[in-house]
Amino acid sequence: MALKSKLSTRTQSKPDIPTASMGDIAFLIIIFFMTTSIFSRDKGLKIVLPEKGEEVKIKSENIMTVRVSSKGKVLIGDQVVEIPQVRELIIKKLAENPDIVIALKVSRGAKYRTMIDVFDQLKMAKAERISLMPVREEGG
Amino acid sequence: MKKIAKQRRSRPDIPMASTSDIAFLLIIFFMVSTVFRKEQGMNITLPEAEATERILKRRNVSNVWVDKTGRTTVNDNLVKTDIVTSIMAERVIENPDLVVMMQADRDAAYGTVTDILEALKDARALKVTFATDYPKGQGG
Repeated sequence: MALKSKLSTRTQSKPDIPTASMGDIAFLIIIFFMTTSIFSRDKGLKIVLPEKGEEVKIKSENIMTVRVSSKGKVLIGDQVVEIPQVRELIIKKLAENPDIVIALKVSRGAKYRTMIDVFDQLKMAKAERISLMPVREEGG
Repeated sequence: MKKIAKQRRSRPDIPMASTSDIAFLLIIFFMVSTVFRKEQGMNITLPEAEATERILKRRNVSNVWVDKTGRTTVNDNLVKTDIVTSIMAERVIENPDLVVMMQADRDAAYGTVTDILEALKDARALKVTFATDYPKGQGG
């Protein structure tokens, strides 16, 4: 009976959830995500590898062989070129024959960055058909 | 005069209700621009290429790491080249759109990279991207 009178006087005030800590919760969640995730940084040069065993018949005049020796010397056809000149030479060759397929043969002893430099030049020359050929013999 | 004397009692009050709004906005920013870090990867210096393009659709990406000594890692496990074949063969069956990111150090011997490319050909994971950085001084 005593309780009832207390309850009737309290119906005026509404229940109140303190929301002052929402900011704290939000910042904690931010810090969690900041430490567990990374900005995606995928960027690179795309290539599609040929299927194994699928030897597409290409006329030999449509193939341009670019060889890279283990010391980083580049041979296009039978011309020795410096890497920055590769791009212009390939643009010329593409203008002569747009169907050209570029066979890139890089020696196993060459540094990966050399191959990427040459590949980069080919990409900048907008060569569409680039084929990476494995080089088996030693002595590049 | 009397009114001003009364107002000196109240202290300046910055409304704190909006800190949680700001915090949630920051959360949403991080949620859409980052990905959870799935693997440690290796400490490598990527080669630079001017033709570097951003790779969208991060979901289909698997990373293969090669450091300058030729050690190969997939999913933070040191592997030999033939194991790369089996891992990637499984993944490409689950996801035919799989793109393999070749994260190789710029001073790695190309022989190691070419072995991995052959392994990927065997695994029929033909979409490959060589991870590169933009050259210094050039932005995205």
